[in-house]
Amino acid sequence: MNRLILRILRIFLWFSAITVPVAVMVLVIFIVFKGLPAISLRLIFGDTNPLDALMLKQQVFEGIFPAMVGTFLVVILSVTWAIPLGILSGIYLAEFSGSHLKKFLDFSFDLLASVPSIVIGLFGLTVAIFLHKYLSRQIYPCLLISSISLAVLIVPYIVRTTQLSLDGVSYSTKLAGYSLGASKIQNLFRVVLPSAIHGILGGVILAVGRAAEDTAVIMLTGVVATAGIPGSVFEKFEALPFYIYYISSQYSDKSELLDGFGAAIILLIICGLLFCVAHLLKNVVVKKVYGF
Amino acid sequence: MASEKNTNTDSSGKVVIEGLNVFYRRKCVLEDINLVAQEKNITCIIGPSGCGKSTLLMAINRLLDEIPHARISGEIKVRLEQNGFCNVLKMDDSELPQLRRQIGMVFQHPNILPMSILNNVAFPLKIMGLKGEKAMQKIARALRMVYLWDEVKDRLNSSAIELSGGQKQRLCLARVLVMEPEILLLDEPTSFLDQRLGEKIETLLEHLKKEVTLIVVSHYRDQVKRLADKIYRLG
Amino acid sequence: MKGKLAEKATKAAIAVATAMAASIVMFIFFFLFCFSAPLISSWHLGQFLAKSWNPDARIFGIYPMIVGTFYIAGLATIIGAILGVSLAMFIEFVSGSMLARFLAWLVEFMAGIPTVVYGFSALFLLVPLIRESFGDGSGLCILAASMVLALVILPTVTMITLDRLKAVPGNLVMAVKSLGASSLEVLFYVHLPYAWKGIVSAVILGAGRAVGDTMIALMLAGNAVQVPSSILDSARTLTSHIALVTAADYESMSFKVIFVCGLLLFVFSAWNILFLKILGKIKR
Repeated sequence: MNRLILRILRIFLWFSAITVPVAVMVLVIFIVFKGLPAISLRLIFGDTNPLDALMLKQQVFEGIFPAMVGTFLVVILSVTWAIPLGILSGIYLAEFSGSHLKKFLDFSFDLLASVPSIVIGLFGLTVAIFLHKYLSRQIYPCLLISSISLAVLIVPYIVRTTQLSLDGVSYSTKLAGYSLGASKIQNLFRVVLPSAIHGILGGVILAVGRAAEDTAVIMLTGVVATAGIPGSVFEKFEALPFYIYYISSQYSDKSELLDGFGAAIILLIICGLLFCVAHLLKNVVVKKVYGF
Repeated sequence: MASEKNTNTDSSGKVVIEGLNVFYRRKCVLEDINLVAQEKNITCIIGPSGCGKSTLLMAINRLLDEIPHARISGEIKVRLEQNGFCNVLKMDDSELPQLRRQIGMVFQHPNILPMSILNNVAFPLKIMGLKGEKAMQKIARALRMVYLWDEVKDRLNSSAIELSGGQKQRLCLARVLVMEPEILLLDEPTSFLDQRLGEKIETLLEHLKKEVTLIVVSHYRDQVKRLADKIYRLG
Repeated sequence: MKGKLAEKATKAAIAVATAMAASIVMFIFFFLFCFSAPLISSWHLGQFLAKSWNPDARIFGIYPMIVGTFYIAGLATIIGAILGVSLAMFIEFVSGSMLARFLAWLVEFMAGIPTVVYGFSALFLLVPLIRESFGDGSGLCILAASMVLALVILPTVTMITLDRLKAVPGNLVMAVKSLGASSLEVLFYVHLPYAWKGIVSAVILGAGRAVGDTMIALMLAGNAVQVPSSILDSARTLTSHIALVTAADYESMSFKVIFVCGLLLFVFSAWNILFLKILGKIKR
């Protein structure tokens, strides 16, 4: 009886261990297989001269270059807002907060992490409407609003990884700094943070990946199908994930669909690269010498 | 707690501990400790492992403040050149860095910082804002005092993590000596050293006694007998 | 003196940043609540539970979306939990180290795959497959969305479960084995009692992700406003509903109703986190 259950369980475990990788592989390989023919400079730049496009001399209309630039801009902006907030909050949680306050802060960051991204997008939209009504008629959902909403999405990731990395620094290292007359802030910046920098950086890169792939937040806060490269943060913009979604629902012919597959490969490569860098950083043994 | 060997019992000591209790959460780790360490003497503390010897040292420079759930009560009075005779436990948090510079401490397990050899010793000087040639002279002097200079002078910029246990222990001692503290708290200062080096360090401590007040935790009977001006037994 | 001032400024900056970051979630709640409170108080509850959405007839029922979310996320959680937990067990117990390491790596990699890419791939591979296998309909249905959504939440489930299984003390396993227990008995008497809380929280977090995900359901479930009667029916989730309605006018009633959807999703997340906190308090 016992052995029968064990055998069934074993078969079942093998079943899932085969099903999951196969399913993922099939979905990924399908994209690569279908999209590979589309990968060319033409996919990115259309009929425009790549050099002119890169120098921003000429707008690209046919290719996905504006979408790539849009994703790049929105991610860079959102990380710019999220890094100071996230890392400083992580530091506060790990080093400064008393236990009651810590419980409250833990709860609010856990909650923020679990709020669906579409709700965060809705929040960003509301903020935009609010500002439009009460601050300036010029404000609509735009690059700035999108980047702020994405920052809200990734702040909890950065907070958590910062907190965990700082908690991971051994007590003996922390005490060494204090015993040599370092104040709390000096110890933090000269001893604790340098020891935890790999973990924090890994967390930031994972957050970048999260911001680059998210579609729900930006589709409510300013992304559109055709906008070209935005001239300021108050303009609408294009983005890769939204482009892929847009093609999936609105494609008119085979060649447009092919572009969608190509864009999917490019997004996959970007996220894959970010993932690998984060993975490497996580596994780097802290052997390096930190000069300061 | 019993004192075995007394040279001088008047209460004008450099460090005077009265009725010290230390709790960790609800557990009492140290109960009603009384101790007097005379100026420019070596005071040894002995006792079975786990009796709180290290905790006692960490109470004196208030390093226990940095450990969560630790509470101290009682009095620890220290006679310092700048502050006079004052109760350490009543000091404001902002005075602690200065206090810890005057009361240097070397831990039982060498806790080197994840930096280069040079930066480890330079750390306390940088904290005080001391850099350049003057700092370098102090660093070299401290490294020579602990007999480490010849071993590391060619690789000052390589990571301190690669040093051997004994080298790390001496590096930690040098790192404290550059601060030129008035009081030195040493937790098993020779535990990672072979006999020859251990004796050299003992000689160094004898020599330091002319300037500095030392409180040493040790479990080597012979070492305690050789060094101590006064012995306290804990637990 | 200058150093002390800089120190105080740094501490203040840290405290201010933390206060700002921690208050974001309250702002979100505040906005959602303010926009949906008038509707909730003035409306009859029955109107939300109307089974259709027809702005022209001024019917704004979100009942079909609640049911759609329940079906899609529920099915995805069941599939994802079963596959995810057993994958974690496989990595921990069955496989040799090479395969285990590959699978552990794959699960982490899966967490990095953009959901929109999953959706795009499945739309042109899985959906036609379902359409052809089951004959009628477009193939856009609860089943398609749930299967892919299960893959999306699987890394969450597997990574947390694996973490808890690895935390089981080795000497405890050895002690039970030395008493002659079979590996099945070790699993049931050592690992499961030790790690069940972690596994339950892994599944709950997975369910939270399934309910909160937008793109998979939006791309694969067909988005029909109807109370589905089978897993081959088209359905719309609360998240897709928010994504689809916002294109309209900001002042309209339909736009206001999506804040109720947002509030529902928010309350669900809050409830999930509270549940996890309570679960963490329970002693084994």
